[in-house]
This record gives sequence, structure tokens and C-alpha cells, in this order.
Amino acid sequence: MIDILGLDIINFLAAAILLISLLVMASVRMGQLVRSFALQSIILAAIAVVLANHTGSEHIYVVAVLTLVIKGIAIPRFMMYTIDRLKMRREIEPLIGIPASLLISAMLIIVAYYITEPLISSGEAVTRNCLAIAFSVVFIGMFMMISRRKAMTQMVGLLMMENGLVLAIISTTYGMPLIIELGVFFDVFLAVLIMGIFIFRINRTFETLDTTFMTRLRD
Amino acid sequence: MIELLLLVPLVTALLCGLSRNERHIYIFSVAGAIIMALVAIPFCYEAFFEGPIDTWLWYMDSLSALFVVIIVVIVAMVSVYSVDYQRHERTEGELTIKDLRYYHSLLHIFTLTMLLVVIVDSLGLMWIAIEATTLASAFLVGFYKKSEAMEAAWKYLIICSVGITLALLGIILIYASSVGVLGEGMDSLDWSVLSSVADQLDPALVKVAFIFIIIGLGTKAGLAPMHTWLPDAHSQAPTPISGLLSAVLLNCAMYGILRIHLLAEAAVPGFSSSLLVLFGLLSLIVAAIFILTARDLKRMLAFSSVEHMGIIALGFGIGGPLAILGALFHILAHSLTKTLMFFGAGNVIQKYGTREMKDIKGLWKAMPTTAIMIVLGGAAIAGSPPFALFVGEFLILSGAIASGSYLLAGVFIALITLIFAGMTYRIFSMSSGTPQEGLPSGEIGKLRLVPMFLLAAAVLILGLFFPDVISDALGSIVDLFEEMIG
Repeated sequence: MIDILGLDIINFLAAAILLISLLVMASVRMGQLVRSFALQSIILAAIAVVLANHTGSEHIYVVAVLTLVIKGIAIPRFMMYTIDRLKMRREIEPLIGIPASLLISAMLIIVAYYITEPLISSGEAVTRNCLAIAFSVVFIGMFMMISRRKAMTQMVGLLMMENGLVLAIISTTYGMPLIIELGVFFDVFLAVLIMGIFIFRINRTFETLDTTFMTRLRD
Repeated sequence: MIELLLLVPLVTALLCGLSRNERHIYIFSVAGAIIMALVAIPFCYEAFFEGPIDTWLWYMDSLSALFVVIIVVIVAMVSVYSVDYQRHERTEGELTIKDLRYYHSLLHIFTLTMLLVVIVDSLGLMWIAIEATTLASAFLVGFYKKSEAMEAAWKYLIICSVGITLALLGIILIYASSVGVLGEGMDSLDWSVLSSVADQLDPALVKVAFIFIIIGLGTKAGLAPMHTWLPDAHSQAPTPISGLLSAVLLNCAMYGILRIHLLAEAAVPGFSSSLLVLFGLLSLIVAAIFILTARDLKRMLAFSSVEHMGIIALGFGIGGPLAILGALFHILAHSLTKTLMFFGAGNVIQKYGTREMKDIKGLWKAMPTTAIMIVLGGAAIAGSPPFALFVGEFLILSGAIASGSYLLAGVFIALITLIFAGMTYRIFSMSSGTPQEGLPSGEIGKLRLVPMFLLAAAVLILGLFFPDVISDALGSIVDLFEEMIG
């Protein structure tokens, strides 16, 4: 269904996505973090274009455009605006140090390959690496949310998980029905807006965006 | 014309958002909720007794109808209760008219998203609606804008979003598992299509999909160990909203799990049931520990929701007509009882100005009517006869014994007995004794007692009789389960 050249390009781009999620993990500054995330979304859009071109599923072009516009441009801009506006401290301040985080991420990648092993043996060539990489990105995003203490980094972690999902959607199924893809993007966009509003409010009530201060509610 | 059911909350939300007058907001909100309940009756009747309604994007069978009934009934109760609750807060000067507008329009938007969850055909759209319920209710959880409420709302938003993201991964895998049978197309995520080919889905994919679904939607349904957002959100939200979260929102997520469970059980028999049993038991254990050590009234009720969601998951996991009937009845009974309890807790907390149970004494003397409701509701929520939850638990237990899982039945009895002891001890120590000095006796507001009275009556009647309408309606859902799994 997909020729060798297309397959190579897709694999190359997927590998780039995985590397960038490690780069996001290794970021020490907010700006770097947001820019890496934006780059990841742009590469994801590129994969979507290649897939759409080679499989002839035209609605994947819509996914590409939405990913580029919403996750590649609009959301990173909004985040940079928030960072400037709230005069956030630029450092990330991880709860788990960067070398340890990278090591754990590497383990997560192995886990992702292990889980997807039985699924991809039967699948088509394109799904083989992409599905495993998609799972890796989802897991790394989740780990990012646990190991970084700022509200903003938790948001980036969530968005990275969503990027992994989009990769899983377009690579395994060549796109879900269009209405569902649109709905997913709408939800993501709304979620980011609402989290943004909460970030402003948290900043006002706690005078910090460090979520480790959030320990009042416990049993 | 099932769209009508969705139109009512939408219009209500708009009207509430646009009115400038406190009285009008209350009138619109209550009238909208009651009209919605009336509109729902013919649809539910048709879905229960005449077969599924399947038009355009919508699909409503008897399982959806049960959840629609719960949503419209509880929302009507909550909207009535909110009136007195907020009048009291207005006199304390905590709320502005803007807050009221915001609260009531979000309440109805939230209702709209929950209705969407249970009546859309496509599993993808169901996912979108479940995520929308989180987004709509996050502001309601953070309604008071205090630091604790902010913390609860942020945790709720983040934890549930992560959960729901994992659930989407599960739905993608379900889609992938169906491509082999159905090919790619608009309708291969539609329940009406998927359910007819459920036994031909790719088993390896379905297994992994269900793991993601139960972890993802289980987060939202409050199954342990993913329940951590739940006590925070329930304790910090305005009390009527806590009732709504507990009685309806958790059920909507459970509905999603059930749909995929039915598919998974047809494709790979036994796999998803055993996971449901596992998470059900875990929830019961966690709930037992935290109910016994709870200090905050609303947190205790929140953990009781974890308990009952666990019991429901256990019931569906055990399977067989008895346990499934029990679990379905338990869903209904839990919604009614838990709403009653949260309303009672709302009265108490507004009266005493604290949520700490050790500071609440002498309910019998301070507010006798609420005290009766809380004692009745407390006995019911702890699972004692003759109330509705006892019937649910009894049916599930009989189902477990009928299917030969004696060990499971034993553990189940031990855990619910422990929880029973913890709950009743707390409730009775709050109602007895003498209230603190200077606390004026009497209820706050009369109108709020009406929904409480109705709920208490329903809980008692459902426990004493098993009306034909209900047994027929639930029977038609059991048939659906038997048809898919059987």
C-alpha cells in the first residue's frame, strides 16, 4: 500500500518524534520546552501529510492542517504568552533529575515496544514502528506530568500524550472518521484554554505555579 | 426527535446565562430541568419496551435509557436543591449574581454533555462527550475560587484528562480491531455496527484496548487506584454539584466501560470480567480503609462512591443474570441514595459551618428533619435493609454464589460489613449528643427538603417493592447483556 520511499520517510519522521520527546524531557528552560513541543507537533503534521499522500486517505490532510495550526502554532504561542504574562521563572525544576528522567524514558520506550509486539506482528509495515513510538510518546508524556512540578509542564506533558495519540490514530487506522478527529481536536483545544484559565487563577491564589504546594487536600 | 432532549438543557443554559435577575435564574434552571425530565419519558419508554432508537448520530437502547433516567431525575433534584442552597450563600454574601448565572448555565451544559455520552452511537463521539463532561464540570469544581478548590479543580482536570487520553488509545485500538471485519469507514466505530460483529474482532487488540479503557475510564468512574481526584473534587465542589458528580458523572464513565466490556466479552470471553472484578475489589478495599479513617463528612461520602462503583464493577464482572440485574439496580439505587446523602450533608455543613465530623454533634436537636433524612440515608448507603442498595448488594452476592465464586462472595461480605460499621458509627455520632453552644435550631429553608423527601421515599420504596416497570426495564437490559455475552 505504501512504497519503500514513503515508508522510509515515515519511519524517519517517527524516529524524530521520539527523539524530540526525549528532548522535551531533557529541557531545563520553559522556552526550550515549549519550542521542542511545537517542533514535535510540526513533524507530526508532516507525517500526516506523507501518509495522506501515500495512502490516498484525503481526510488525513485535515488532521495535518489542524495539528500544524492548533498544536504547532496556536497552543505554543498561547503558552509563551502565558509565560511572559505571568513572569514565570524560566527554570523547569524537575522533581526527578534529568539523567534519571532520561533513563526512565528509555525504559518506557522498551515497555512500549514490548506491549505493542503482539499487535504489530499482524499489522501492516507502516504500523510497526509508528504504533510502538506512539505508545512511547504517550508514556513519556505521562511520566513528564508526574515528574515535573509546574502546572505549565503538566500541560505540555498532556499535549505530548495527545501527540502520541494522533500518531497512533493516523498510523494504525489511516485516520478515524473525520467527525471524531475534529471532535478530538476541539476537545484538546478547549482543554488547553481551560487549563490556561486555571493557570492564571492558580497563579493568583497560590502566587506560584509550583503544584507541589498543592498538598492541602489529603486524608 | 431525540435532539429535543439535548435542546432543552442547551436552551436552559442560554436562558440562565442571559438573565439578569436572581429569581429568573432559579425559575429557568428548575423549569428547564423538569421539562427535560418530561421530554425524556417517551424516549426512555420506547428504548426500554419497544427496542432501540437508532437515528443519525444517536443510538438509545435500554442500557442508555437507564442512564438517561438517572441523569434527568438527579439533575431535576439538584436544580431544586440548589435554589435554597444558593439563597443561603447569597445571604452570607458569598455569591454574586454573576456567580449564579455562571453556576446554573454550567450546570445545564454539564447535563447536556452527560446526556450526549449515553445517547451517541459512535464510541469516538462518546469519548468526545466524556472529555467534554470533564471540561464543563472543572469550573463547577473550582467554583469557590479558594486555594483548596483550585487545587481540587486542577487535579481533577489533569488526572481525568490523562485518564481519558488513555481511554482514547483504547478506542483507537477497538477501531483497529474492527478494520479487519468492517473495513475502514464512517460507521466502524458505531455501537450499532460494532455490536453485531463483536465476536469477530481481533482478540489481541481488544485485550489491550480494554486494559486502556478500564484504566482510562476507570479514572473517571472513580475505581481505585485511579480514584485520587475524586475525594478532592467531591469535597471542594458546591454540595449540590458533589451530588451530581457522584450520582451521575461516575455512572457516565461506567457506561463507557460497560459498552466496551460487552464488546470485549464477546470477542475474548472472561478477560474483561476478571479485570472488572479486580478493580472492583481494589476499590472496595481502598474505600473501606478511608471510610474508617475519614474525618471530613464530604470526603467520607466521596469514598463511599468509590465503594459503590467498586460494587457495581464487581457485579458486572461476576456476570450471570442475577449479578448483572443486581449491578444495574445498584447503579440506580446508588444515584438516588448518594444524592440524598450529599443534600443532607449540604444542610449540615451550611448549618454548622464545618465539614469536620467531630465538630458536628446533636443533629437531632439542631435540625430534626435533616437528621431523619441523614439517618435514613446513612443506613441506606451503608447497605442495610429495607433500603434499595441492600437489594442491589444482595442480588450481586447471590450472583456470586450462583456462579460458584464463594471466596469472592466471602471477601465481598467482609468488606461491606466493615464499611457498614464505619459509616453507621459516623452517622450516629453526628446525630446524637448536644449541638455546640449558640447554634440556633431549625432548618435552613423549606424548599430544599422537598427533593430530599422525594429521594428518601424512592430509596425506601425501591427497597421494599420491586415495581413491575423497573423489573421489566432492567430485565430488558439484562437480555441485552445475555444476547451479547451469552
